[in-house]
Amino acid sequence: MQTPPTGPVPVPVPVPVLRLPRGPDGLSRGFAPDARGALPKPQVPQSPGSPVAPESLESREQQARATLRERYLRSLLAMVGHQVSFTLHEGVHVTARFGATDLDVANFYVLQLQTPIGVQAEALLRCSDIIAYTFKP
Amino acid sequence: MAMRQTPLTCSGHTRPVVDLAFSGITPYGYFLISACKDGKPMLRQGDTGDWIGTFLGHKGAVWGATLNKDATKAATAAADFTAKVWDAVSGDELMTLAHKHIVKTVDFTQDSNYLLTGGQDKLLRIYDLNKPEAEPKEISGHTSGIKKALWCSEDKQILSADDKTVRLWDHATMTEVKSLNFNMSVSSMEYIPEGEILVITYGRSIAFHSAVSLDPIKSFEAPATINSASLHPEKEFLVAGGEDFKLYKYDYNSGEELESYKGHFGPIHCVRFSPDGELYASGSEDGTLRLWQTVVGKTYGLWKCVLP
Repeated sequence: MQTPPTGPVPVPVPVPVLRLPRGPDGLSRGFAPDARGALPKPQVPQSPGSPVAPESLESREQQARATLRERYLRSLLAMVGHQVSFTLHEGVHVTARFGATDLDVANFYVLQLQTPIGVQAEALLRCSDIIAYTFKP
Repeated sequence: MAMRQTPLTCSGHTRPVVDLAFSGITPYGYFLISACKDGKPMLRQGDTGDWIGTFLGHKGAVWGATLNKDATKAATAAADFTAKVWDAVSGDELMTLAHKHIVKTVDFTQDSNYLLTGGQDKLLRIYDLNKPEAEPKEISGHTSGIKKALWCSEDKQILSADDKTVRLWDHATMTEVKSLNFNMSVSSMEYIPEGEILVITYGRSIAFHSAVSLDPIKSFEAPATINSASLHPEKEFLVAGGEDFKLYKYDYNSGEELESYKGHFGPIHCVRFSPDGELYASGSEDGTLRLWQTVVGKTYGLWKCVLP
């Protein structure tokens, strides 16, 4: 005859957390300027009569950056469905049909990835592993 | 109600995390730096693990990383044959110190005026950070690559570990004072200023020595090869981790194993208590850092104690 259990066994409850630690934003190298009481950037003094030179240089740079980014994003769009050759570390070359990228361009979704050890129907390539890629539109 | 440890996983690195260090306690809290084989050491808020920034510039795996006491400067040691000093507030690179081989370890003096480096060229170097152009002072004597070098005894002495020896050097005379020999590879070393204790791990052993005389105090054996161990600031506990992917917590006085945790997906390379002793951080081959509570169930950082 089995002895009945003396009572319910207490299951340890995991300690609750408010949230998970925040990770890198994937866009910048961090070090937010408002952290740790960093001094605000000094204002560039404007002498009377001189044109608003510093401002327009900044906005021209910003415009150039925006144009380059738009060209890059369009190049990614143009790549969709095409065969792309990737150069990875250690002299590894793979080819695949490009599917999509994620918001931060951290991963490429590809199809029919030809690798030295076989063909992968679908795969995610980590962009940090890619040294270069090329395709013919 | 029994509570189970909830480790906090800090992601972001893409390769094994090989070293980590905490700063002292500053008016902004305390901070944590992690060295990674992906070449991109990261700074995090110490009590939450929140990412603050990534130090960009090294061209090879970063083997060692440290912060100065007030977390205003960081230093890193890398496989690109350089050590770098960084502004830990802005993330900017302040200095690149060229070496002749892989650099493995860096340590600031208490006043942040000098940086100690050591690596595969078997030389200890002392850089005056106020005179970055000046040649460093060099101490030779190690017969294998230096894995860890630390200032001790109020920066009057230096402790350094190579494959099978730990040596104590006098800073002023730059000569060897004493050495310890091991028949197994020394995997890690930690110096506790209050009490002048040196924590050394080799094989499955976690050994405690006087940092002043190198005399042994006590040692414990773990169930698996240990890569790193850390002693709690109040010297009540020690934590250790190694090749079996688990973290062990022992009572320092009795040597009794109190807790052990699975969680990492690879060997643990480094483990350190925070300066206030409330948590400990572990870095692993799996590319993550994990934060663990010293007292499970206490409200601290992101952990929130909920009463039934």
